[in-house]
Amino acid sequence: MPQVEFMGKTFTIDEDGFIDSFENWCEEWVQWVKKEEGIDELSDEHKKVIEVLQDYYKKNGIAPMVRVLSKVTGFKLKHIYELFPSGPGKGACKMAGLPKPTGCV
Amino acid sequence: MAEPAEEKEKKGLDIGLEKGVSKLTPEKIEQTINDVLDKECGPRFKTYVETCIHCGLCSEACHYYLSHDNDPRFSPVGKVKQTIWEMLRKKGKVNGEFIKRAAEITHTECNLCKRCAMYCPFGIDIAYLMTVVRRIIHKLGCTPQYIQDTAHSHSVHYNQMWVKGDEWPDTLQWQEEEAQAEIPTLRIPLEKEGAEIMYSVIAPEPKFQAQLIYQAAVIMDQAGVDWTMPATVGWDNSDMAMFTGDSELMGRLKRAHFETAARLKVKRIVMGECGHAFRSVYDMGNRWLGWQMPPIPIVHAIEFYAEILRAGKIKVAKKFSRPVTLHDPCNVVRGGGLHEDARYVTRQLCETLVEMHPNREHNYCCCAGGGVINCGPPYKMKRIEGNRVKAEQLFAAKARGAEVLITPCHNCHSGLHDIVHHYGVGLEIKFFGDILYEVMEKPEG
Repeated sequence: MPQVEFMGKTFTIDEDGFIDSFENWCEEWVQWVKKEEGIDELSDEHKKVIEVLQDYYKKNGIAPMVRVLSKVTGFKLKHIYELFPSGPGKGACKMAGLPKPTGCV
Repeated sequence: MAEPAEEKEKKGLDIGLEKGVSKLTPEKIEQTINDVLDKECGPRFKTYVETCIHCGLCSEACHYYLSHDNDPRFSPVGKVKQTIWEMLRKKGKVNGEFIKRAAEITHTECNLCKRCAMYCPFGIDIAYLMTVVRRIIHKLGCTPQYIQDTAHSHSVHYNQMWVKGDEWPDTLQWQEEEAQAEIPTLRIPLEKEGAEIMYSVIAPEPKFQAQLIYQAAVIMDQAGVDWTMPATVGWDNSDMAMFTGDSELMGRLKRAHFETAARLKVKRIVMGECGHAFRSVYDMGNRWLGWQMPPIPIVHAIEFYAEILRAGKIKVAKKFSRPVTLHDPCNVVRGGGLHEDARYVTRQLCETLVEMHPNREHNYCCCAGGGVINCGPPYKMKRIEGNRVKAEQLFAAKARGAEVLITPCHNCHSGLHDIVHHYGVGLEIKFFGDILYEVMEKPEG
């Protein structure tokens, strides 16, 4: 699997750019994905989405429905896509260190 | 800014494939292959295998072959030679390495798009031969991990993305509420017995892309359609089991889908913009269950949009001004003949259509379909490298003015996104529903 070096860290990623293991997630990874996803400024709202995704993933082993993400964060669907233009299943899961969701995505 | 380091190995480990192969024995391989070839494959298989004269005319039909500078290993006939013919010649006495390679060929080097079948002078359906290989791989337990996970979800929840029973109606009600901010009287009618139409989608829509359900609800509402969605399983029309060769599970899913529509006593099932799901309810799944044609008529979104536009049920406020090009998905065009409807819808919604070439039933595949994108990240670059011709085709359409790429299929959407991004084509990708929602007459918000 390809490796990337960023801010003094080395990450192993799959071909879709997701991190090899949730255990290796760190603040530098968030910065790397921010750059890759073309997100200008990281806000507290991005952080909230990441927290919810990680919390759900630790408990359930998969990414939550966007409905759950919306309910827990209080953000409307459109706003979640404004925060993560490539969507909750791609950009947000990637930034949170989750594996790429399976299915037609 | 750090650049990605050199790749240490060509691709990531596929646990499903690696572990599956490690458990094989020569006896199991031989018995499984011969069981499938002797007991499950009838005259159709025999006719195809015995009719092929190895002429190679199928080669140039294949985007993998063209994108790999005419490497014969990627020709459709070459893929049959490396799999089925060897299995037949050796009477099933092949080893684990062979099975691993066969799994890679059938799952990640063929999209079952059937373009080759049109160029074969005998009309041999090579995609069918590749599905026979997938069936063997499935029975040997060597299916790639990501797509097998999807099949597992189908098996547990009757949908492909692990959507639990209560999460489905909750998502519909949520989107109904969000849409009511725009159209206060809008409803997403659940469980309406006797409605004319049951609307069905694939699981990525409720899971992550709920805006597509929102848009569909607005279109249904404004067109004044008598429609419903089920609150139970049977709502997901997708079917990755069809692509893993798990025919029994495919049948179970399609039965649930049709029985749900029958329970709701609807006249027709209208489905969202998905290609493989169409194949599963219009061709493979219904036929496995014994229905030559779907027991309840299936109407793909393209056909449905054409119908409501022709009937004047939806009025276009202002046509989409940016020039569009149209990608014909294999399952609904080669498999369903919806290409002229797609052009009618495009002309009704958009000012300018720039055709890509080839087009209609001759269009090149997106290289994501056939379950290939579902095999996940270990094979993404294979998809992209295997479809350079698609990038060239898109660049040519762009040079003639296209700015937006319409594709009425989820797999095409994701696959073309990867192609457009990797090769830097610079086209924005949309569904018909995105454009229809944008240009239609709606009440002032």
